[in-house]
Amino acid sequence: MFLAFALITLLGALGMLLQKNIIVAGLFMVASFFGVAGLFVLLGNPVAAALQIIVYTGAILVLVLFVIMMLNSHEEEPAETSRPIQRWVSVVLSLALAAGAVKLVLASKGLQQLAEKGAPVPQGVTLQGVGAVLFANHLLGFEVAGLMLLAAMVGAVALTKRNL
Amino acid sequence: MTGMDAILHGGLQGYLVVALLLFAIGLASVLLRRTLLLQFMGVELMLNAANVALLAFARYHGGDLQGTVFYLFIIAVAACEAAVGLALIIGLYRHRDTTDSDRAASLKQ
Repeated sequence: MFLAFALITLLGALGMLLQKNIIVAGLFMVASFFGVAGLFVLLGNPVAAALQIIVYTGAILVLVLFVIMMLNSHEEEPAETSRPIQRWVSVVLSLALAAGAVKLVLASKGLQQLAEKGAPVPQGVTLQGVGAVLFANHLLGFEVAGLMLLAAMVGAVALTKRNL
Repeated sequence: MTGMDAILHGGLQGYLVVALLLFAIGLASVLLRRTLLLQFMGVELMLNAANVALLAFARYHGGDLQGTVFYLFIIAVAACEAAVGLALIIGLYRHRDTTDSDRAASLKQ
């Protein structure tokens, strides 16, 4: 199961990276987000999985596809100046980052200890438990997040509306 | 479980490797693609990679609920970023008639 969801996640992301058509790339991104939601279920965290599907594959995806349709530019525009050196440097840097990080994870003794110590399956995350922790310990952060969402909403309207 | 075994059967290292590869793919799409919308999607992928790593560590820390609470905050930030970022892309398209980040390199009209 883990391998299946991991493959959905990574192949979706890779498809998004390589796809020419932006709409198809957006749909690949959704596949990737669904894979991530599956990984959250396997981690015993159905709350996060539900939030992932509602917010990412629901709200953010609709927003992205809506903007793509509105802009009416489905293909990547031809490059003004081709920059082969920059492209190769980015490819090499990304690959080096991925390889180095994976090597570090596999070599780490501390991670292996943590994996063995935490291996027994803990109690699954429930919405009730998350709510209790959220409102007991992080009330200020919750309020600030609400205010930030309001500010972002006002900002988005102000930016897109032609004449207020 | 040792390294390779954990990757195949879903131990902590397996989730971390998926998160790191997802981050690298997101970074590559920010660096390689020129369309602003695709770069934006790359940023979303990187945020998701951070989420996967965070919740994997929370699970292996005895099912810590703080991890899910912070995941909630990350999602709120991602939603704000999506709204404002897409509004900026629309604004740019109105001014310049392009969504190519190379063509938006100058601040002049």
